[in-house]
Amino acid sequence: MTAADAAAPARTDLAIPPRPRTWPKAVVVGAALVAFTVATTIPAIGGVEIDLASIARNWTNGLDRIGQMLTPDLSILPRTWQPLLETLEMALVGAAISAVLAVPLSLWAARPTNPNGVTRRAVRFVLNVVRAVPDLVYATVLVAMVGVGTLPGIITLILFDVGIVVKLVSEAIDSADAQYMEAGRAAGGNQTQINRVTALPQSWPAIASQVLYSLELNVRISAILGLVGAGGIGRLIDEMRGFYRYDALGTIVLEILIVVIAIEIASNLLRKRLR
Amino acid sequence: MSDTAAARRPEAGDHVSPASGPWPITLDNVTVRYPNGVVALKDVSLSIGAGEMVAVVGLSGSGKSTMIRTINGLVQPTQGTVTVGPHAMTSLKGAALRRARGDIGMIFQSFNLADRTSVYRNAMVGRFSHTPTWRTLLGISTAEDRDIVMRALASVGMLEKVWGRAGALSGGQKQRVAIARALAQEPAVMLADEPVASLDPPTAHSVMADLADINADRGLTVLVNLHLMDLARQYTTRMIGLRAGEVVYDGPAASATDADFEQIYGRPVQQRDRLGEK
Repeated sequence: MTAADAAAPARTDLAIPPRPRTWPKAVVVGAALVAFTVATTIPAIGGVEIDLASIARNWTNGLDRIGQMLTPDLSILPRTWQPLLETLEMALVGAAISAVLAVPLSLWAARPTNPNGVTRRAVRFVLNVVRAVPDLVYATVLVAMVGVGTLPGIITLILFDVGIVVKLVSEAIDSADAQYMEAGRAAGGNQTQINRVTALPQSWPAIASQVLYSLELNVRISAILGLVGAGGIGRLIDEMRGFYRYDALGTIVLEILIVVIAIEIASNLLRKRLR
Repeated sequence: MSDTAAARRPEAGDHVSPASGPWPITLDNVTVRYPNGVVALKDVSLSIGAGEMVAVVGLSGSGKSTMIRTINGLVQPTQGTVTVGPHAMTSLKGAALRRARGDIGMIFQSFNLADRTSVYRNAMVGRFSHTPTWRTLLGISTAEDRDIVMRALASVGMLEKVWGRAGALSGGQKQRVAIARALAQEPAVMLADEPVASLDPPTAHSVMADLADINADRGLTVLVNLHLMDLARQYTTRMIGLRAGEVVYDGPAASATDADFEQIYGRPVQQRDRLGEK
C-alpha cells in the first residue's frame, strides 16, 4: 500500500463542500463574445464589411512602397535635424505644461482626494469631453485660430496629455490604499491640507510615470500634427509623402523609432528610481 | 505643562486651548447604524473623567472601533450625543468639527502614515487644524509649528529619523511617529484604536508604556481599544467591555477577573487573548 492509498480514506472524512461548477458560465460568456464579434463583421445587420479578397488583389501595389521604405535614403538626414528637434521640443514643453495642469486635476478627479461628488464628476465630465475630441481636430482648429507653427501643436499636445494623464493618475489614486487620509481627517485637516501633505507625495510615482508615458506619445503624435501645419517632423513627412519619396520616409520613421526607444529607455530608468 | 492645568472648566462655544487641562468624554445614548443595516453601537452611555486612562476591550466586530470614531466625529451616530470637553461633537460640522478634532489626538492599528513622505511631514499632519490652508498649500510652516513637531518627535525618541522616509521605518517606529503626529496636535484627549495589534510583543509593551506616560506625564485623557486582556490589566485603570455594540463591563481594569473577560468575549478565555512576555 502506498502513502497515497493510506491517505485516501482519511480524505473522504472531510466534509468538503461541492466545488461550484463555473465552466458552463465561462462557455456561455465566451460564446456570446465570439458571436458578438462575428456579428460586427456582417454588413447585412449593420456590421463592418471586411473584404479579405481585396488584400489578395491589391497587396502588390503597396509592395514597392514598402520596398522603398525598407531601403532608407539617408541623404535626407541633414534636413531632418531641425524639424526633429522641433518635435522633441514640442513633446517636452507639452508634457511639462500638461504635468503642471494634471496634478491638481488628478486630485480633483479621484474619489479619495475629492469626496465631493459634484465637483469630482464635473472635472471628470470636462476631461471626458477633452479626450473625446481627436488630436487632429484640435490641431486643425488651432492652426486656424493661432496660425501655422509649433504653438497649435503644443496646445494640442497639452490637451491630449492632460486628458490621459488625469484619467490614468486619478484611477491610480482611486485604487491605491489611502489609510493616511483617516489620520489627516482625525487631526482636523481639511481635504486640501490632506492632499497637499500626504496624498500628493503618495501619488508622485503614478504622476511621474504617466507624464513620461505622455512624453513618449507626444513624439508619435507630433509626427502626425505636422500634416495639418502644427509644426514638427510631420511637416517633412507630409512633404516627402507628396513627392512619393518613400525611401526618405523610411529614414524619418527610423529616426522617430530611435527617439521613441531612447525616451522609453530613459523613462524606464527614471521609473525604477521613483519606486 | 500639565501642572498649569487650572480648575477652569472651558465654556462651550469659544475655542479653548487644550492647555487648560484634560477633558472629560461623555456619550449619551449613542447608537450607530451603518447604511448596510449593521448596528455597531446600541444605545451606549458612558462618562469618562478628565485624565482617566481607559481601555475599551472587545473582540473584533464588538463596536470598539466605531465607538472611538464617534468620539472625534469620524463616525456620526444615528442617535445620541457625544461631548468631548467643550465640544458637542455630534452637532459640529465643517470648520468647527475640524477644530474640535484638532484637540483630539488619534493613533491607529495600521499607523496610517503617508509612507512616501518624510517623518517630518507626517508629524506636520498633526498641526493641520492650527494651520491656515494657504500655509499648508505653500509648505510654509511657522517656527512655532516646527518647534512643536520636533519636540513631539523627540518625546517619542524619533527625532534622529525626522528627515527619513516614513515607509522605511519598522512597525514600532511607525507607531511612535504616529504618536508624535497626535502629540503635535497638543491634544487634550488621546484616542488609540488597537495601537499594538500590528506589533511584536516587546514593541507592543513599549508603545503601551508610551501611552501610559502620555496619560501620567501630560495628563491627557487616554482611551485605548484593545483585545488583549493582560495589556488592559497592566496599563489602564478602568476597563469598558463591549460585546455586540453594548457595554457589558465597566469597572477597574487591574482587578478584572477572567470571568469578567469571558463575559466580554462571550466565550472562554483562550491563550491568544493574552500577549504575554515582558
